[in-house]
Amino acid sequence: MITLNINDQDMRVDVAPDTPLLWVLRDTLQLTGTKFGCGMSLCGACTVHLNGQAVRACVTPVSAATGARIVTIEGIGQTPTGKVVQDTWQRLDVVQCGYCQSGQIMSAVALLQTNRAPSDTDIDRTMGGNVCRCATYVRIRAAIHEAAKSLA
Amino acid sequence: MKTGLIAFLLALPISSMALADSTGAPLPAAGSVSKAEGLKAWQRIEAVVTHPRCANCHVGPDNIPMWTIAGENKTRPHGMNIHAGDSRIGVETLSCSSCHASSATPNVAAHMPPHVGLPWQLAPVAFEWFAKTGAQICTQLRDPKRNGGRDAAGLVEHLHHDAKVDGFIPWAWAPGPGRSTPPGSFETHVQDMTVWGAAGQPCPE
Repeated sequence: MITLNINDQDMRVDVAPDTPLLWVLRDTLQLTGTKFGCGMSLCGACTVHLNGQAVRACVTPVSAATGARIVTIEGIGQTPTGKVVQDTWQRLDVVQCGYCQSGQIMSAVALLQTNRAPSDTDIDRTMGGNVCRCATYVRIRAAIHEAAKSLA
Repeated sequence: MKTGLIAFLLALPISSMALADSTGAPLPAAGSVSKAEGLKAWQRIEAVVTHPRCANCHVGPDNIPMWTIAGENKTRPHGMNIHAGDSRIGVETLSCSSCHASSATPNVAAHMPPHVGLPWQLAPVAFEWFAKTGAQICTQLRDPKRNGGRDAAGLVEHLHHDAKVDGFIPWAWAPGPGRSTPPGSFETHVQDMTVWGAAGQPCPE
């Protein structure tokens, strides 16, 4: 049995240690807000936080998550930065189909937690691993700038 | 005498299991290998360190990793606007390990971001090899002021240690499907570094 701390709750799971965290979140724990996009760490849809760092859950073995603080899209709104980002995302109508947006929000929050006033270059370099088939990139960028202003 | 020495070196028990347990095989005495043999060993070392599996992360102060995609020969900057930053591990923007998740498991899926047992990162700026000549790399590699304070034995020990921690250097020869590998093997690279060291680390003019 492995104990995971997810969104401030301890959860015990009976899975092999090399199971990707994404599978544990979605299949075992029914936390389906984190999405499977590619399963190969190429799209960013599965982004969660591990001790504050944005990681791709599809390539993170659950053994690496043991003893760490995991935050998913279900819990990010409990954090001050996460709440501001979600509110801004709603206000600016960023979402289109929505599939990539859990990952986008998790990456954006990680960025704003370490960089309160990201430049366009910072956004390019931090968000470039989160792809959006609906091409909401312009709204994502605007929302990050807007959220940064709210957090300032 | 020379042939005998080389035969001795090649007979050293440098299997991957021995490397994992070894604290470093004793080096032949300095000067016991000729400069000519040392330069031949250097040619083989140069072929390894300039290969994309090594040079692509031994980049300069622009901090941009290079890519040579599985199945292709063309080398280009890492996609997705990735910059490793002055930290060389991407903490300023997106950590390398966000997608290159540390693991000692083999790289088995084509096109997935490769991983090793250490956090994925660029080599230090002092170890810039990408687009450098063999002569330039040689003078850097043998200079303790520019190679992390290592003498010839220290460089060989570095290879052994890296293997013990499932690090980057053995990965070059098991990088994942479709990715080309440097000539030889990790074991022959260790032997070449040993021979080069015993020859006094000669560099091409």
